[in-house]
Amino acid sequence: MSIDTTTESESGLFADEELLESGRRQRLLRGTIGTAVFLVIWQVSATPVPTYLLPTPLEVAQAFVVELTAPTTFILPLLGTEVTLTRMIVGLINSLYHYIPGLFVGGAAGIAFGIALGWSQLLDDAITPVQRVLRPIPPLAWIAFAIVWLGVNHQGAAFIVGIGAFWINFYNAYAGVKSVPESTKEVAASLGVESDLTMIRKVIVPKASPEIMTGIRTSIGQSWMIVVAAELFGAPGVGFQIINAAQNLALDVSVAYMFVISIVFLISDGIFQRVESRVLVWRE
Amino acid sequence: MARMSQQPTDGKIVVDGIDKRFRSESGVVEALRDVNFAVTEGEFVCIIGASGAGKTTLFRIIAGLEAATEGTIWLDGEPTEGPGTDRGMVFQEYGLFPWRTVLKNVTFGLEQRALDKQARLERAHEMIDLVGLDGFEDSYPKELSGGMKQRVGIARALAVDPEILLMDEPFGSVDAQTKGRLHEELLDIWAETSKTVLFVTHDVDEAVTLADRVVVLTGSPGSVHEVVDIDLDRPRSRTDDAFADYEQQLRDAIE
Repeated sequence: MSIDTTTESESGLFADEELLESGRRQRLLRGTIGTAVFLVIWQVSATPVPTYLLPTPLEVAQAFVVELTAPTTFILPLLGTEVTLTRMIVGLINSLYHYIPGLFVGGAAGIAFGIALGWSQLLDDAITPVQRVLRPIPPLAWIAFAIVWLGVNHQGAAFIVGIGAFWINFYNAYAGVKSVPESTKEVAASLGVESDLTMIRKVIVPKASPEIMTGIRTSIGQSWMIVVAAELFGAPGVGFQIINAAQNLALDVSVAYMFVISIVFLISDGIFQRVESRVLVWRE
Repeated sequence: MARMSQQPTDGKIVVDGIDKRFRSESGVVEALRDVNFAVTEGEFVCIIGASGAGKTTLFRIIAGLEAATEGTIWLDGEPTEGPGTDRGMVFQEYGLFPWRTVLKNVTFGLEQRALDKQARLERAHEMIDLVGLDGFEDSYPKELSGGMKQRVGIARALAVDPEILLMDEPFGSVDAQTKGRLHEELLDIWAETSKTVLFVTHDVDEAVTLADRVVVLTGSPGSVHEVVDIDLDRPRSRTDDAFADYEQQLRDAIE
């Protein structure tokens, strides 16, 4: 045993890597066991119960495959061309049609407002009272406006998603800009930065970028929650499929679509996490 | 604002009748009263004083980061207003831009000018060489030690070729050994660039090591108590009797 340890430590880095690797393997093993136990408990407790109360994992998996492969026609929004896809893909595309514009437009507006109010005391003083009153209102409460202005469609749902993304990004960008220390601005001024625009572009935004990135990442996740909620009132998409299937007592299909959201979230969050760590490589 | 429309005495930088009063919750606080002194071109001057004597306030006024209540800071015969690239600043807490590499920190000031990229890079590399950081161009501040960070701070301030280098306790956060080395390097850089240096410290030893002259601020509100010429050849040795005498003289003056 003691001999083994010495030979291992002789190889230095290699031994460390091996230790790390075995730790990783152990954690993977634990995770696999935990997941298996979860699935077994689910399967056992769902088996005696009818599907419309609690589907088994196997039923969900079957429903997932069926939805993933069942062909359906789909008219591409904006383009108007008809294509044949599968039900799940169509649901996902529909959701993305309001998720992406809502997230981008709402998020960008939130960041812009957050930077503007964080930077300008004048704007901050003028807008903060209104901002404080509007911010606690849940995005979904704006549904009345979404329907009367835009209708029960992609635009209406995108509007709701956008409001959610706006506030998350607004608040993070605002806090990030506010937290830039006076000394950082003073250094920049001493090095010849004169205009507000240059200061914002070259100093404020980079310094606040960790907070801004946190806002974006949070809104990527939160917007999926809002997508499902927004589709409650009938806009097409994954959320609508969950509700529609539940109304037909096909809970296995509902759960399959719940997993779709989970998978899409994990993928998008994973991608963004990579982007974030690359952009913020300088972070202490 | 200026009491006189003409610079009262000769000097690269003239601190002319500076008063500073702050309004605070407990009323008006007087930080500086009638501070006067002049620094000639190429001179290395330390401002020293106990805490509360208004050293940092005076530094900030000279730097243009704060306005004086009364009085004027003259630079080359012109009254100054606000910060500018004619006064390069080095701070105790480095003030580096953490999102920029060493090279990009040094080029920051140059980017604010109409300079082509080639000229910027050339100048930046020259400065990085000067402070002995070649090889670290692509490192981020988080990867550097305190002493290295302050070298970047100095290189960045010098890159825009300021008339004066203003330093506010720049080595206050580094260990004693590094401090000694940085003193030597700073004196080398000073000799090489022949900049005028105004250096704020509370460290008597540091002042005697570096300065041609030491301005002693005392009291509250702070004012100039004494200006001491340090008439010692460089490099100076701390073990010299004369060095110790100057130290004692400054210590007495501060109290």
